[in-house]
Amino acid sequence: MDKLERFFFSRYLKSPKRNLLRFSFVFMTLGIVLSVGILSAGLNLFEGYERSLKEVLLGSFPHLTLQKSSGEYFGETETSLLVQQLTSHSEIDQITPAMNYSVMARNENKVRGANLTGYDFSGKYPVSYAKYIKQGKSTLHSGEIIVGSYLASELGKKLGDQLQVVYPRLDRISALGMFPAEFNFTIVGIYSSGFYESDRSMLISTVEDAQSMLNILPGFGKLEIHLDKEYIDQAADVAATLQGSLGSEYSVYPWTMFSAGLLRLVAMEKWLIFIIFCFLVLIAGINVISAVTTIILDKTNEIAVLKTLGSSSRSIKRMLSYQVGLVALAAIVAGQAFGALLSFIVEKQGLYKLKGDVYFIDSLTASISPLNQVIIFAVAASLVTLCIHYPLRQIDRMQIIELLRNQ
Amino acid sequence: MLCIAGYNLCKSYNDSNQNIQVLRDSTLEVNEGDLVCITGQSGCGKSTLLHILGLLDAPDSGRVVFGDREISSSFPEAPSIRNKELGFVFQFHYLVEDLTAKENVALPMIISGISSAKAQREASTLLGSLGLGSRLHSYPNQLSGGEQQRVSLARALINRPRIVLADEPTGNLDPEHSAEVWQMMQKLNKDRNQTFVIVTHDIESAKLANLTYNLAQGKLNLLS
Repeated sequence: MDKLERFFFSRYLKSPKRNLLRFSFVFMTLGIVLSVGILSAGLNLFEGYERSLKEVLLGSFPHLTLQKSSGEYFGETETSLLVQQLTSHSEIDQITPAMNYSVMARNENKVRGANLTGYDFSGKYPVSYAKYIKQGKSTLHSGEIIVGSYLASELGKKLGDQLQVVYPRLDRISALGMFPAEFNFTIVGIYSSGFYESDRSMLISTVEDAQSMLNILPGFGKLEIHLDKEYIDQAADVAATLQGSLGSEYSVYPWTMFSAGLLRLVAMEKWLIFIIFCFLVLIAGINVISAVTTIILDKTNEIAVLKTLGSSSRSIKRMLSYQVGLVALAAIVAGQAFGALLSFIVEKQGLYKLKGDVYFIDSLTASISPLNQVIIFAVAASLVTLCIHYPLRQIDRMQIIELLRNQ
Repeated sequence: MLCIAGYNLCKSYNDSNQNIQVLRDSTLEVNEGDLVCITGQSGCGKSTLLHILGLLDAPDSGRVVFGDREISSSFPEAPSIRNKELGFVFQFHYLVEDLTAKENVALPMIISGISSAKAQREASTLLGSLGLGSRLHSYPNQLSGGEQQRVSLARALINRPRIVLADEPTGNLDPEHSAEVWQMMQKLNKDRNQTFVIVTHDIESAKLANLTYNLAQGKLNLLS
């Protein structure tokens, strides 16, 4: 910034009203605030959706699942030994043995497919779903069951009701065909993670009840492993390490094998939305071009005088770009604040809720990521800078003599 | 000592497919301390001649000599010469509306790289000497026509140029303010040996100059 540019800039900072109240300036500022606001709100909501989905996915499902490659169950001794062996790995936070299989839940004529998981509530192993129990209790005794919120609602069941669980056992064959095992449970808890697929199919019972339904000896079908937070994104690497140390008798599956595709899709959608909304900023840039052109026309006199007095076109261009740039940058920051407010309002509003069966989760959450805000600012500032400099090029072509003659 | 000169200057314009020759082989020499007036009818090319001498326009042919060097508006040093060695006063004051009288006068100094504070101090002193000490902080639209033109004159003088080129400086003023500006230019010419080239259609005022030319049919004729 040379002395002339500094002089005009400080003069402008002292009394910016004359420029700010110009009609074109008002529309330029509004355009930037609105477009950046929408861009920012869109990204905040998508970021929130991505984070919520990931949080729910990682909260509802184990980060690693260990099973026998042959499909057989673990005996109790084997389970203890495996848990002991795996605990030595620093990446692992928690290991929960579980029994898991598909059943049918029935209420008179209503039948729904469900996924029954049996846990050991003797206190020997930890269980991690307690935070998702929205009603009732999380620790079970024999004959008690926890039901997913959507499943309970679809079956018309509530806390304290009886729920019939049906499992087709191959050892119960009558003259009329296969005879399923039927068990009656009392609903003592409602599970609601926010992830539709889980809430629509979840059933939790004691492992003893699960074993007796399957008519098997005491044991577990799988080990659910939760990793320390810092290792969650490296689950595939940790799984490979464990697989290497356990050998081919066991199979270790990371969460990324089941859910990473969904998260990648959401991330891709987020950036697609970002690119589409960037076009809004570009459209607002047309207002910037119009405002700068108006200023140039308005200040033709001034430009002629400055050129006559020996000022260079470059200096005049920079002088004007600082003035418009300052307003545009303030508008971008205001737009980002507006975007944050907009996403907060959308998050808190109670009128529209996501459909869990379509969007996997049923609540809108906004997340303001500093990195995203920096990207929005950089992209918007670059687009606006381009739009400021494009019309300023005409100052180079302005001949002093033409300017003076036209006055 | 030669201050500025234009030799064999020719300039023509195209207007509605018609070629209008406004300068035909015109020559003008201005020495240090001269107060030169150029008169002529409207549209005869007086302003064009002044613009060529002021490096704001280029002749079709001919040359402009400034001191001892030939110069043209297309030379890279032309803006610097316009800033430091030439002063301009126009019929319309062309003051920057958003700046005060003092800031307007300080502009050429700030453009030449002098700090704003120092330039404004110099401007205050100069405006004081031109009788505008009480109008330093007034905006152009708060000044009378005569005051506006005096501020414009102060702006032309702030960098102590070798020559001031004035294009109809009183053309837009009433007789009282017009006389005021002419007296000021005469005083500056006498007291500071300031060289002036003034374009005017006011024959009476032009008689105050020590050299008066008439421009007619593209040719300069010495009147007195």
